[in-house]
Amino acid sequence: MGLATSWFMRTGGGEAGEVARGLRQRDPSLMDYLIQNYQYRLFRYLLMLTGSRQEAQDLFQETWIRVLEKGHQYQPRWKFETWLFTIARHLVIDFLRRRQPQSLDALLQPNGADRPLELEDTTSASAFEQVFQGEEAASVATALRHLPPSYREVLSLRFHEDMALEEIAHVVGTPLSTVKSRLYRGLAMLREWLKDIYA
Amino acid sequence: MHEQARWLIDKRQVEGLSAEEHDWLEAHLESCAQCRKQGLETERVLCALRSAAPRFDAALALATQMRARVRARELNENAARLRALWISCALSWVLGVVSAPLLWRACAWIGYRWAISRAVWMMGFALFWVAPAAVAGAAIAWRQARGAVTSGE
Repeated sequence: MGLATSWFMRTGGGEAGEVARGLRQRDPSLMDYLIQNYQYRLFRYLLMLTGSRQEAQDLFQETWIRVLEKGHQYQPRWKFETWLFTIARHLVIDFLRRRQPQSLDALLQPNGADRPLELEDTTSASAFEQVFQGEEAASVATALRHLPPSYREVLSLRFHEDMALEEIAHVVGTPLSTVKSRLYRGLAMLREWLKDIYA
Repeated sequence: MHEQARWLIDKRQVEGLSAEEHDWLEAHLESCAQCRKQGLETERVLCALRSAAPRFDAALALATQMRARVRARELNENAARLRALWISCALSWVLGVVSAPLLWRACAWIGYRWAISRAVWMMGFALFWVAPAAVAGAAIAWRQARGAVTSGE
């Protein structure tokens, strides 16, 4: 039995209330459990959002420290992963704001209902190519690199995390209609980019 | 009709379909090779997207766990210190309130005994009474300023 699973055994289940109580107490064994349990999903989300392995690694650590510091704010009525991804997203925005302060307004207050995050495209080809395996790897990586980060984000939350649309709207902090619109457009763009290899 | 089918192909993946929409789409795909191809392409795209398997460095998780433990200890220690400070403040305030009448009389007596003007001994009383709160407030402000510098804010 792993160290992390001992927390679950002790509390007798994965109730959100137990997680909230453990976070309020800053229980180290709960943190171990959460990090171990969500490490992969959080890292994948950060990688999809930033497109940079190094940045995803840095933000991964910062996200967990923020979870520890803000743990008292977690409400059991939220799914833990929804709260976790919301924190991670805010850290990514802070990070990008530091990197390109002139685009803060564009970042947080897009003009129009469905304008994606206007980020400088620093996505490295290798970051996505390392993520995808198989013969389609290069094509999928290229397609993702050409998607705006906000489209990559909702696609990841929907199709990697299997989140409900309402949960995605909560994480992203946009209306449900915007989430849907980004999903449809992102899917269409991805299909357009990959059309040739499926022809 | 084809537009409707293509819209439903995407909707199936994004939002899900009602039973009626599902039946209509299935019937259409049976008879339309072009839309069926689009449906297959969409499924392949999503399959490729879901194949994302980033290599995760286990050392990163371990390092994060260690960092979280250290930070948790720091936060708990700070919380304990802050709690002690607040308790001291509360006790000081209670004692101040309880002792205020006695202190007032003592100040009045000193003023009478050494012929100090009323304004002066009253000011002395006020200073003596607010001194603990002022010291505690200064201590809290100092701690917060130090915390802001430490965290680089």
